[in-house]
Amino acid sequence: MKLSLTRACCRSYTFPIFRKPSSVLPRAIFHQSLSSSSSSSLKPKTPLFLRPPKHSATFSDLKKWHDWANTLAYEVGSSFADSDNGPDSSILCRELKWLLEDSLEDNSLIPHLGIENNPNSVKLRIALDELYGLWKERIEKRKPFQYLVGCEHWRDLVLCVEEGVFIPRPETELIVDLVNEVVRDNEQLRNGIWVDLGTGSGAIAVGIGRILGSKGKVIAVDLNPLAATVAAFNAHRYGLQDVIEIQQGSWFETLKGFEGKLSGVLSNPPYIPSDDICGLQSEVGKHEPILALDGGLDGMDDLLHLCNGAASMLKPGGFFTFETNGEKQCKFLVDYLENDCSGSFCNVSIVSDFAGIQRFVTGFRRAL
Amino acid sequence: MALVAQFLLNFAKFGRSVSHHNNRSSLFFSCNYSNNNSCSWSKKNFVELTDEELIRQCEMGTFKASGPGGQHRNKRESAVRLKHIPTGIIAQAVEDRSQHKNRASALARLRTLLALKVRNNVNLDTYSPPPELLQILPPKSTIRSSDVGPQIGPNNPKFILGMQALLDLIFAVEGSVSEAAKLLGLSTGALSRLILSDDSLRMVVNELRTSKGIKPLK
Ligand SMILES: C[S@@+](CC[C@H](N)C(=O)[O-])C[C@H]1O[C@@H](n2cnc3c(N)ncnc32)[C@H](O)[C@@H]1O
Repeated sequence: MKLSLTRACCRSYTFPIFRKPSSVLPRAIFHQSLSSSSSSSLKPKTPLFLRPPKHSATFSDLKKWHDWANTLAYEVGSSFADSDNGPDSSILCRELKWLLEDSLEDNSLIPHLGIENNPNSVKLRIALDELYGLWKERIEKRKPFQYLVGCEHWRDLVLCVEEGVFIPRPETELIVDLVNEVVRDNEQLRNGIWVDLGTGSGAIAVGIGRILGSKGKVIAVDLNPLAATVAAFNAHRYGLQDVIEIQQGSWFETLKGFEGKLSGVLSNPPYIPSDDICGLQSEVGKHEPILALDGGLDGMDDLLHLCNGAASMLKPGGFFTFETNGEKQCKFLVDYLENDCSGSFCNVSIVSDFAGIQRFVTGFRRAL
Repeated sequence: MALVAQFLLNFAKFGRSVSHHNNRSSLFFSCNYSNNNSCSWSKKNFVELTDEELIRQCEMGTFKASGPGGQHRNKRESAVRLKHIPTGIIAQAVEDRSQHKNRASALARLRTLLALKVRNNVNLDTYSPPPELLQILPPKSTIRSSDVGPQIGPNNPKFILGMQALLDLIFAVEGSVSEAAKLLGLSTGALSRLILSDDSLRMVVNELRTSKGIKPLK
């Protein structure tokens, strides 16, 4: 495979790229990645549940914290929900339970918290005063729960996330099922090259990295260098470092040389219309990276770019799925893919998410 | 493409707790449905279906689809509600940390509910207990030969198949534990202990006994 270094790739020089060389990718990209990896100052934070349990507290002190945190959660009532569709007390209480689960070395001890004045101590992965600090940030600053614990449970995975990296959403879990359905009876696609554009924490890439065949590969791309770092960490944690290549760059920019060669193009790109950003619930609007959310005037900037790219990058029979903001974007895209992409695609369809909202547009590159 | 796509279900843990069901009484099923899909359904006991087959018979939804969802939302509200179309039984799960696991727990619960609520007819004159039922009986049962293997308890996912067969029998004898025990080669006490070992099993048997004017087991 021949590849020419183009100006379009220059962004990657300024950021570190985290990946291992593998045989499927054109050599030129490795040169880039190697030459740029020197500036690697980004290190993913260790999520709470993976930290060593080197702290301890008595049951009764932990209970005091827990009671305090519960009270704060109850006092919220429905005020967040009313103001910006944020979490209510019951959701906060559930999060508190999960925070406790991730903090304790031994979860089976949780029921013991109910016992008054228990003088025994428990091992914790975080100091008690930090727990006070974290919960204050949750309630007062509306910091997302996932950033407190540094992870999100997504499908059967536990993915590390941190501030600056988009938290994967439950809706997106379905993309892995859609891919699974497609590769199940198609060995060629199963063993081909797939790309996850705007990989964020690497959720989609890790999810499909585990269902592809032994020769299948995933290239996971993100413009945000911190996302690339975190995605690499997650890929590694699931032993997929030889299956998933992480690249830092913009959409298809780093994929020169793969025109007509990709088995699949997947993306959950920013799709929120710019005007809606300021009305988002605080957890999202005030804490998640705007680069992950803002899809331009009507939210379609990146989606349209991806559709055009998919036409030239997919091989005949290749599959694509894009997540969208809902029915309006889905319908627009279907129309666009069928009528404005000069017959490049077939079997274009809309798939709803678990809440019944039209969420994904899928289809195949027409065979030549 | 269907709303309920193919699922890679990963049963981390078999959910024992049983969620609500709008119709408390049991459903009796004989083998013919007027529905188009009837052939695939009628051949097999629901509980014996694979995850995939079972999910195809379900409608999936969440409790409320409030707001636009997706990137807009961070609510950790990954509830799943499965409605089994042939029976109308609803199973839901909400407490797991991922949508995917909730789906797996909802499906596990649906299986339990199907075993508890859907009754198959039993012919008492020619009754011989199916292997799934023999497996959950204590070894001292006189009709249980040694090749049945060790007794399967409520924590084993296979338990529900045996539980279903046991309930089919108990319904056929109209709640009489002593009569069922006779057919299973057990003392009444031993069968009562088995029934009491699982909360949902106990509940269903006692509901039946109460409805027949028999004292509930304790
Ligand atoms: C909504 S997030 C999705 C992240 C992840 N795929 C997921 O589903 O959880 C969108 C991602 O696209 C990335 N992104 C935004 N603009 C990009 C661009 N021009 N090229 C590549 N990635 C971009 C953001 O950094 C963000 O990680």
